[in-house]
Amino acid sequence: MGNKQTTFTDEQLEAFQDCTFFTRKEILRLHGRYRELAPHLVPLDFTNSPDIRVPPTLIVTMPELKENPFRDRIVETFSEDGLGNMSFNDFVDMFSAFCETSPRELKTIYAFKIYDFNRDSFICKEDLQKTLTKLTKGDLSPEEVSLVCDKSLEEADLDGDHKLSFSDFENMVSKAPDFLSNFHIRI
Amino acid sequence: MTSYSNGGFFNPAYHDSETLEIDRRSSSKTPLHTNPYARGEGADGHYSTGPISSDDALRRVPRGGWQEESWRGRESLPMGHISTRPRSPSWQHDINHSTFQIPPDSQYDRSLSIRLPSTTSGNMTMRRRGITMRRMSMFPNGDPNHVAFTEDAIRNEMDIEEQNLVKELVALSTRDRIWAIRDLPMSFDEKKQIRSQVLAFKSAKKSRQFTCFADCSENMSLSFRRCGYGIRSARQTLELWQGIMKEIGGTFGTSVLSYFVFLKWLLMFNIFSFLVNFGFITIPQLVYSPWPNISPNVSFRGLEILTGAGYFNNTVMYYGGYSNETKVHLADYNMQLAYFFTIAVYMVLCGIALIFSMASSFKTNYVLADPASNSAWQLLCSWDFNITNDKAVRQRKNNLRVQLKESMSEKAQRERITLSESLKHFGVYLGAWLLSTSLAVGSGASIYYLCQFEQQRATDSANWSLLQEAETLLVPFVVSLMNLVVPLFYSLFNKFEHYSSQRKQIYALVVRNVLLKMSILAVLCYNWMNVVAVKFSCWESMVGQALYRLVIVDFLFLMLGSFFGEFLSNVIGTKLLPRLGVPEFDVARNVLELIYAQTLAWIGIYFSPLLPAIQILKFFILFYLKKVSLTQNCQPPRRSGRAAQMQTIFIALLFFPFFVGAVSMVAFTAWSLTPSEHCGPFRGLNSTFNVVEVWMVHLEETSSSQWVVWIYQNVIRSEIFYFLISLIIIVIIYIFWQVTRGRKLLIHVLRQQIVNEGKDKSFLLERLQNLQKSHPDKRSKQKNPKKHSKRRPDDHSSGGQSTSNAMVQALLARQQLEKEEEERLSTGGVPVPSDISSSSALIQAMQARQRAEGQERDEHYSAGYYESPTNTSSAVTQAMQARQRAQVEGTDDASDPTSSVSSVMMQVMQARQRAEEEDRPQWVPAPPQNRASAGSSALIQAMLARQQAQNEYDDGY
Repeated sequence: MGNKQTTFTDEQLEAFQDCTFFTRKEILRLHGRYRELAPHLVPLDFTNSPDIRVPPTLIVTMPELKENPFRDRIVETFSEDGLGNMSFNDFVDMFSAFCETSPRELKTIYAFKIYDFNRDSFICKEDLQKTLTKLTKGDLSPEEVSLVCDKSLEEADLDGDHKLSFSDFENMVSKAPDFLSNFHIRI
Repeated sequence: MTSYSNGGFFNPAYHDSETLEIDRRSSSKTPLHTNPYARGEGADGHYSTGPISSDDALRRVPRGGWQEESWRGRESLPMGHISTRPRSPSWQHDINHSTFQIPPDSQYDRSLSIRLPSTTSGNMTMRRRGITMRRMSMFPNGDPNHVAFTEDAIRNEMDIEEQNLVKELVALSTRDRIWAIRDLPMSFDEKKQIRSQVLAFKSAKKSRQFTCFADCSENMSLSFRRCGYGIRSARQTLELWQGIMKEIGGTFGTSVLSYFVFLKWLLMFNIFSFLVNFGFITIPQLVYSPWPNISPNVSFRGLEILTGAGYFNNTVMYYGGYSNETKVHLADYNMQLAYFFTIAVYMVLCGIALIFSMASSFKTNYVLADPASNSAWQLLCSWDFNITNDKAVRQRKNNLRVQLKESMSEKAQRERITLSESLKHFGVYLGAWLLSTSLAVGSGASIYYLCQFEQQRATDSANWSLLQEAETLLVPFVVSLMNLVVPLFYSLFNKFEHYSSQRKQIYALVVRNVLLKMSILAVLCYNWMNVVAVKFSCWESMVGQALYRLVIVDFLFLMLGSFFGEFLSNVIGTKLLPRLGVPEFDVARNVLELIYAQTLAWIGIYFSPLLPAIQILKFFILFYLKKVSLTQNCQPPRRSGRAAQMQTIFIALLFFPFFVGAVSMVAFTAWSLTPSEHCGPFRGLNSTFNVVEVWMVHLEETSSSQWVVWIYQNVIRSEIFYFLISLIIIVIIYIFWQVTRGRKLLIHVLRQQIVNEGKDKSFLLERLQNLQKSHPDKRSKQKNPKKHSKRRPDDHSSGGQSTSNAMVQALLARQQLEKEEEERLSTGGVPVPSDISSSSALIQAMQARQRAEGQERDEHYSAGYYESPTNTSSAVTQAMQARQRAQVEGTDDASDPTSSVSSVMMQVMQARQRAEEEDRPQWVPAPPQNRASAGSSALIQAMLARQQAQNEYDDGY
């Protein structure tokens, strides 16, 4: 590290490297980004792993997330408490799942969680409607929304229970090659 | 794609019914459904307190409070059934793995990981999935079956799973282990914990083993890993244009970004080829003869930069500038061999890289793709998380809305197309194809005549006048002009054609452009090989110059193209004709231009080894140019096309006509054409390939490298070898083809099975509804179903629906009974089945009766709060019917009492006991929810009993 102040110990960095898809440099960059969000909250020195959580209102101001229609869901999904308060570990986790090298399986799992608004482990019509309103600014009429959701359900639902289980979702994603490149946030 | 009778699933009970799941879950060790809720429940078993509705919150607080009783009611029953079932329950599990603290025989572990790495990792994945599922299904509102575990049991189970995972991770090699940990769908803290456990385990093992070798290997692997991380970091630092890529992706989305990714990829190819050529061909040449023998009357005039002729002619830029000598300085360096092998190896490496990237791209992007599911895809997979620009986001949202509306009206539109209209469309297609093909052929022909004209005027002399030199620019100019203008015509045709999908439209455009470029290149190659090769004394250099000119002029036209294609149409779109709007970036056209440019470089590599340097410069500038042009002039694409598929197609195109064409051109030159006699490394040989033969003759003299000669004689030059190789490859392809077909069939069957499961479910519910309808008088009073439908769909564990499931079960049991009876009558009475059937009937009867009684009692105690008359009444009728039947059968089969009866009796007793136990708490006035659950548990018991009876029936055979 030279004469710079150490942010992480070597052990910490190694743990990060072993458990996420990032390199040492990226971890440090992520720390910089995290600290940028709340300079008064986040210390430079993380060697003693302080228990700091940045509230979701600050997290979603990141340029990477600011315009994302799912930003709140993303933040909620990756935060440990489910409310969106993110520790640095959660923060790293989030971008690790979104990074280029993370495998399809992992991305699928997290995408499913993000789309499952009511956390009932199924993407039901209600979830689809929420997704659609987020994606179209709510410009569609309720009938149209309902029609589109029904159609999507009919297309993707294999076992006919009229909601998407994870396996339905996985099946659909495996047929959508763009998913991998789309479910990707460059940091 | 999926077609099923939708009779049942409008019934809310359908979504909540867990019948099938319950059956499956209890019979298989790992649940079939993957449920992605891995988090929330850490190993300490506390529940996450997310932003949950009050409804959720109620369900999430199972312990204490007024709800306690209802939960007990539900909990007690699956517990019971687990212990009665012959599957390995969780406690056994516990015993098996409680030995974890004592490190197992490390020798064994190690040998396992060495012997069966693939198996282990396969298990690994399964296990990981299993864990995920298990953890997820612990989610409080997931499945009533798992609520059964008390908190301790859950914690135990999770610990055990974790320990199992750790054990498996320890068995893996370091690299695999890191990947496995990274892939775990857990939070970082959990991963870290597992990692530290694994490391602790490892170190404990090591201290036990303590051999020098293990220590060394551990250290080695650690340092290798560190080194790998270092390399990765370094590579990331060297990664070009990261910021720009992010910016483009953020504003224009992945599809436009793919152009730039492709450009960068090609740039890497060129950098590699430049390094190889420069290192192995140019540097040795420069080292031994640093100054090219330029005749004194040739001076640098400036036009050379465009034409590549004159001053450059004898430099190392072209083939002619290289000597054929074996340099003897510090070491022998045979220029001929170096030239030949460098080019050959580069081509082979390029081919391999292309094939690999094409194959992997096909695997992920194309083979699996299914065009059928469109709107689901648009909803859930098409959002580009890359996009960070607010304008782009707004536009994308708009586009999505328009697309959805279009897709809704598309069906109606399609039906309206009449015969005459479709004929008209067909006519337009035909016309457009004819026109575009003739345009391609025409431009090929015109270039042919132009080349002939130019050859007539050109003279084979060393120094041309300025005018002569400028004349050489005519052919490249015309070629590039055609490449610029004709595609515009194609785009124009495209506007008149009505393609049903955008994809077909793009494919048509791409095919036409490829045809054009291929015909132009084919004519040029023909000209070089048949005319230029005969006429000029140093013809390779002439071809090199021609290619140099083509590359340079093509670059100029690319700049012009982005000026006309994007800047002008932007001006027109914003100022003159607002109807047209701001142009979009045409990814297909631009990528084809790149492919064309790269093909020129590949062809030229033999004739002008330093052409990649020009190409690098070209692509580098082009990147910035296109970036500026894009951000200044273009808007994000209106349609979010399937960019990944397009990229696959582009790589395939780059490989198939273009790279293969270039290689065959170079190979033909090397094999069949006579190299020029007075210049270049191969002067004096019959063909370029002769250099290898000469080398072999030379090698034969030295005894040490006989094997090289042997390989050359028996492998490279023998037809038998190639014959055998192609035969084997064909056989392998055939086998794989068959395997693929088999897999396809299997997929089809499995999908059908899934659909059938759904059908079964809806059929059962239909039966249930019919049953309910058959008691209309009671139903009119009843409010239960209404209430039910208002309930949140995720409320699985509500009592009413399991009652209904149980009733469906009862119905089924009855049906089966009838069937069995029929069978028995027809076969003339085989004793065992009759026994079983009578016993199962008995169970049915007992259970149903019990339940009816229980519910009656319930009703009695809770009449004030809640009514469930339908269930009771139907249960009563069920019970009566079943009982009657059983009695009838009992009298029939009374002559052969067997042991099965006793087991059945035991079952019944158990079930009854349990039911009574469950009923007891309800004697206390309790909130209305628990009524049905008790009944349901009794019913589930009945189901289980029935299953068991069936098992016995099976065993009987």
